[in-house]
Amino acid sequence: MKFLKLRFFHVICLLFALNMWAQETAISGQVTDEAGLPVPGASVLVKGTQNSTSTDFEGKYQITADPNATLVISFVGYATIEEAVNSRTTINLSLVPATQTLDEVVVVGYGTQKKSVVTGAISSVKAKDLENMPLTTVGQSLQGRTSGVYVAQNAGQPGSGATIRVRGVTSFNNNDPLWVVDGVIVDNGGINFLNQSDIESIEVLKDAASQAIYGARAATGVIIVTTKKGKAGRISVNYNGFGGVSRASRKLDLLDASQYATLRNEQYANGYSGGNFQLPFPNTDLGKGTDWQDVIFTDSARRTQHELSVSGGNDASTFYMSVGLTDQEGIVMPSISSYIRKNIRLNSTHKIGKYVSVGQTLGYSNEKTVGIGNTNGEFGGPLASAINLDPVTPVVITDPSIIPQLPNPGDYGQEFAVRDGNGNLYGISKDVANEMSNPLAYAKVREGNYGWADNFVGNAYLEIAPLDGLKLRSTVGGKLSYWGSESFTPKSYLNTNQNNQSQNRLSRQTNKGFGWTIENTVSYNKLISGHNITVLGGQGAYVDNDTYGQETTYLNQPVNNHGDASFNWPTSTDNIIGWSNTGNKHIVTSLFARLNYDYNEKYLVTGIIRRDGSSRFGSNNKYGTFPSFSLGWVPTKEDFWTQNNVVSSLKIRGGYGVVGSDAIGDFAYLALVGGNRNYTIGQGDYNVTVGYSPNAPSNPDLKWESTAQANIGFEAALFNDFTLEFDWYNKKTSDILQGVRLPGYVGATGEPQGNVADMKNTGLDMSLTYRKTIGGLNLSVSGNASTVKNEVTSVGEDRTFNTGPGFQSMGSITRFEVGSAWNEFYGFVTDGIFQNQAEIAGAAVPDDIEVLPGDFRFKDLNGDGKITEADRQYLGTPIPKVTYGVTVNLEYKNFDLTLFGQGAAGHKIFQGLRRLDITPANWQTNALNRWNGEGTSNTYPRISTVDKNGNFTRMSNFYLQKGDYFRVKIVQLGYSLPSDIIAQAGLSKARFYVTGENLFTFTKYTGYDPEIGGNVSGIDRGYYPQAKSFMMGINLSF
Amino acid sequence: MKTRNLKRNFIAAAAAITLFSSCSDDYLVVEPKGSYLEDNYYKDEAQAYTGIVAAYDVVKKQSGGFENMITILNAGSDDFYAGGGNAGDGAGIQSWSNYTINPTLLPQSYWSDFYQGVFRANVLLEKLPDIPMDEAVKARFTAEAKALRAYYYFQLVSMFGDIPLYTTNLLPDQFYTITKSPAAEVWVQIEKDLTEAIPGLPATLNLATEAGRLNRGAGQAILGKVYLFQHKNTEAAAQFAEVNGTPGQTNQYGNRLLTNFADLWLIDNKYNTESIFECAHTKTSNADWDWWGSSYDEGNSLNVMVGPRGYSVTPNSGAPNYRTGWSFNPATLDLVSVLTDDPRMDATLANVGGLAASGAAAYSPGYMDTGYFLKKFMPKTTDVTDGGGSPDLNFRQNTYIIRLADTYLMEAEALNGTGARAQALLDAVRARVGLASTPVSLDAVYLERRKELAGEGHRWHDLIRSGKAAAILAPRGFVAGKHEHWPVPLRETENTQVTQNPVYN
Repeated sequence: MKFLKLRFFHVICLLFALNMWAQETAISGQVTDEAGLPVPGASVLVKGTQNSTSTDFEGKYQITADPNATLVISFVGYATIEEAVNSRTTINLSLVPATQTLDEVVVVGYGTQKKSVVTGAISSVKAKDLENMPLTTVGQSLQGRTSGVYVAQNAGQPGSGATIRVRGVTSFNNNDPLWVVDGVIVDNGGINFLNQSDIESIEVLKDAASQAIYGARAATGVIIVTTKKGKAGRISVNYNGFGGVSRASRKLDLLDASQYATLRNEQYANGYSGGNFQLPFPNTDLGKGTDWQDVIFTDSARRTQHELSVSGGNDASTFYMSVGLTDQEGIVMPSISSYIRKNIRLNSTHKIGKYVSVGQTLGYSNEKTVGIGNTNGEFGGPLASAINLDPVTPVVITDPSIIPQLPNPGDYGQEFAVRDGNGNLYGISKDVANEMSNPLAYAKVREGNYGWADNFVGNAYLEIAPLDGLKLRSTVGGKLSYWGSESFTPKSYLNTNQNNQSQNRLSRQTNKGFGWTIENTVSYNKLISGHNITVLGGQGAYVDNDTYGQETTYLNQPVNNHGDASFNWPTSTDNIIGWSNTGNKHIVTSLFARLNYDYNEKYLVTGIIRRDGSSRFGSNNKYGTFPSFSLGWVPTKEDFWTQNNVVSSLKIRGGYGVVGSDAIGDFAYLALVGGNRNYTIGQGDYNVTVGYSPNAPSNPDLKWESTAQANIGFEAALFNDFTLEFDWYNKKTSDILQGVRLPGYVGATGEPQGNVADMKNTGLDMSLTYRKTIGGLNLSVSGNASTVKNEVTSVGEDRTFNTGPGFQSMGSITRFEVGSAWNEFYGFVTDGIFQNQAEIAGAAVPDDIEVLPGDFRFKDLNGDGKITEADRQYLGTPIPKVTYGVTVNLEYKNFDLTLFGQGAAGHKIFQGLRRLDITPANWQTNALNRWNGEGTSNTYPRISTVDKNGNFTRMSNFYLQKGDYFRVKIVQLGYSLPSDIIAQAGLSKARFYVTGENLFTFTKYTGYDPEIGGNVSGIDRGYYPQAKSFMMGINLSF
Repeated sequence: MKTRNLKRNFIAAAAAITLFSSCSDDYLVVEPKGSYLEDNYYKDEAQAYTGIVAAYDVVKKQSGGFENMITILNAGSDDFYAGGGNAGDGAGIQSWSNYTINPTLLPQSYWSDFYQGVFRANVLLEKLPDIPMDEAVKARFTAEAKALRAYYYFQLVSMFGDIPLYTTNLLPDQFYTITKSPAAEVWVQIEKDLTEAIPGLPATLNLATEAGRLNRGAGQAILGKVYLFQHKNTEAAAQFAEVNGTPGQTNQYGNRLLTNFADLWLIDNKYNTESIFECAHTKTSNADWDWWGSSYDEGNSLNVMVGPRGYSVTPNSGAPNYRTGWSFNPATLDLVSVLTDDPRMDATLANVGGLAASGAAAYSPGYMDTGYFLKKFMPKTTDVTDGGGSPDLNFRQNTYIIRLADTYLMEAEALNGTGARAQALLDAVRARVGLASTPVSLDAVYLERRKELAGEGHRWHDLIRSGKAAAILAPRGFVAGKHEHWPVPLRETENTQVTQNPVYN
């Protein structure tokens, strides 16, 4: 029956079509752009029918239509034209670019939406904002260019990732946003594999109303990256390349040898407590000595980047292919600090018949990272060593006869003490040892060590559009990663405390990771007399962390340099050690739906619901449901609105939603029995016997953290030239997953997880853009600023506060509790320095401790007459309260100029550059202002080998500095050759430019760099600073 | 026709959607690979044995990891300084050496590691009754778990005084509500556990497969020491008499003083006849820096810690082949003078300063250097591991927790240093190193202990027990009534009902 009915319908349709055919005439013409150049691939549609065609390479089209019909001509990026035929047979049309704000399209997850009808808070960065910028990683491209997103580089080491926070800190756990690249969730392994010049757009979903489409993994924000696709039309070829040099933008002022010797003597005398008085430096006239910073920093680190892309297509197929090469040396010891990345990408789309289209994206990258090993740590590496090593130790011992006179001839007598290429011993400090070592010797033993990564990320989709407005889409995506490292450690001796090697070792580590995604969606769009409805339903399944890894180490190679070391040398089995492991899969399964409705683009409604199940959740709470709802109103489209030049368009929107996070470890809900509680039992080989014991109690009720967020905002076009966006949000995270930190006396080895804490963030996001053409001058200025106020509202019933990262023997330097922000600095407050014994007599001091003039007077905050742990307070947050960015673009004739700056304010930085436990460590020159007698200083205490008052070993405001900064990130000046000249060479564009990066940083912070990322940012332990770079480049387009 | 195909595609797609969403319940269950769940562990003797091993793991605290007992207890005595590279090297050890210790500076692990031992012993005592296994083996495991729990509580109570005490592991609602028990109650529990454990411990061990575990003699020696620390001298003497037997002869468990004192420190002379309870180390765990001091680091860290810094031998000088270390625990000149002319001097201390002065070797003097190093544990280049891991962290010398000379002298002390047996015990220790008899007295016993056991972590407790700590350690900053105990690590008193030792408030 059904079959018959269908056939009948078919016949009717055919007859109807034939009937129409009789009345139509052929129409032809050409579509051109604003410059009069042909526009290939533009769509030409007879309004109200299915009858359509596309323009050819020359922009020409042919179509048949009723003489009274209307043609609809559209092309991406241009305003759609409706042209009445009026019995003409030739219709030539010129397209004009669409006004940016009106027809801009925004990727919203599982589809796109016109920006004008979006009701959520979404920030976008488009390709044109990023092109030609000297960006190495994707994180950098968001910095300062979007409101509501805080970005800080984790290190100046080339290839380092960035710390990215969307609207503050959402959780006590992982706060990294979810990355979705062409629909593939690339949860682990970072995002560095992307070549930024392949990016078409980056969208940041900031509020729950838009995030809810990614449900249980969206709470920390969702960043959607879309790579470039080809466009129908002429094949275009683009090349961009630049090269330049980098150097450190500033160095610390450290004591020279004479100053150091003087302070060491003073330190010794102040700490002297009987016995044989012997100054460490009887002679302090030692000249300048060694500035170890000169040893580690280079002024000429190379930097080059090449990108070549070819794209194009026709009605049926488009393609985009690119290759890229980034090669960058670090400014700290480039022989052990560099980064090379090679990228290849191929994206294509194909139409198969009338209803079906398929497409794919595939990117491959190869990265090689040579790292200094410690980019922000006080426990070794070139930076910490350069800051802490004494200036008395020579860099190299060129005259071995002086060794017996040195204080530590024993060190130089070591068989494997490191030598330079000429056979000279590198200097070894007698006093500053621990993890500190001569950076040149350190570099020597790390030579040839590197890490590598290969990433394949891609997807393929099939889309069927059987009826007008109906789309069925299936997408399969995946990320396949391989990564590992190669290292050789020669027999070496750096100093007494170092991991001195009396045997050499060659190691190779390899890992493989795989994650995949399957998603099926159905969407239907219908416009009925102004009511525009789009519904989307879908299903997804996701697996990641399907990983394994292994490492093999060969000991006692017959050679002792990395160049000759090889796994091919004959090696006995007892010289081979290794390990291997297998990851535990993380599985998520989802159902989701979205409704978009608008009436004449005036009243806007969006509703989203997603249900996610996660393998990480307890058996009692496997699934969570995440709804959101948002509304918009465009009063400027109301009849009552009088058109005016003050507000030409205005959209008011607001939304509310709940999203989640499952970013916790696997099996946190199970009581596992852990191994490796080992002991050596029995004789013979004295082999280790493996012991097992329970880690911690289980928690089958474990569930997702949920983050509810309300957002209210508006977008407006003002005075014709300004666009303003403004958002206010209030975000509350509940049931934060946290290791329930058990007291040591419980005896557990691990911490059980629990949903115990709550936190709140409120803030404002603003952005303002001004565009104007004044004569021949195109000017655009855009700025954005964001504020965030974070407040912890619960840390769990089992405690009154949580503590954060520690600093050496100080213990934790941050803390948070109800009412404070997450991980605020916490410690004592100094109140000047005791100048004499009389001042100490009546003052509050620690019990049982002899306080001397020159010691800090700490504030007795609880007024109990003594200084105890109770006299600590919150001292400021390491997370900026305000972040902002400004971009200025100027174009005049063939010249263009871009200025881009970015800054942060309202936070503190902990300057922990000097090792507390190495009393002879070098000082910064502010130590010259130390207290050394009544009236000499009220800010820097006396120095002594004995610090009973804890002047330096207590966490106090002494270590904190304002972190405010503004950085002129990029200055770029370009010149494009006139088009009539280059046309003869077949070029459509030839542009030369010079770029300066990080040219100026305005800050009062006295460390290397005020921009310090990390889980808890703003802790400077000897941070690898960002480079100042000068580059020259060229763009060519064919 | 086309319509029909389309329809079929649509149905297929819809079916696919249903398929994926309907099978998702099982789909979401991921079994942990390579981990056991507590619910299905402890099913047989082999698994119970891994539980016993985990309980023994903490014995390593004696000399494993940077935060080991011997280094810190030596540093607090009048025999050694903290040493190290400089005044800031190892803040916990330094602050115990100069008695500026406070709740922040005392490393947490000196408290929590022993509680992990208690926890693991408790787990086993809870699970053992239901494990189907040989009853004799079960009885022995039960005895070992109790004895270990007693040993760990003994470590805690003797260093901290009043502490939280529990014999079944805490439930979540007790984590933050438990309070400290008076030391007296802890001592009672320790005695109870040991008394119950001793009959269940084997008289002797099959060293090939059991070396390192407790035998009855070790249980009795620990109990004797527990009594002695409480000044229950009669009970202590009774236990030690069982352990010691006839002075100078082999005891009922096969223990006998070694003939040659220096042989005690040969690193391959493990589990010799003088050893009663020993802390085991091996090079085979391939310990490395990032997990140094963890439960699976089996290396001896004391060795590298006490080695001289930047030590090198002048070619052909014949100086000993010490391995460069970190110069912790330099001996005080006071100890040097006590040991001068004693036959044990050469095996106990190394005069590296003298070697350097004579040009035979060179070294970099560390903090509070005296030139004298703790030779009993001195690392040698020949001891360095030939396996993986860090060469600094994989020394394999075992350390004695209790050895026969120690129990001889403890019994003599328990006998108040009087009587023929006390004299015989003292004489036996002296005779082994060729020293003539000297009239026994408490002072003579303490002096003998100081010489015999120097650097093995006993001296500080001896000073406390003999009541001499206040006088002898005062120049170091020792305050009587305070420094007999450690402060409770700060974190343990935060958010809990556990109060700080009042003298540290």
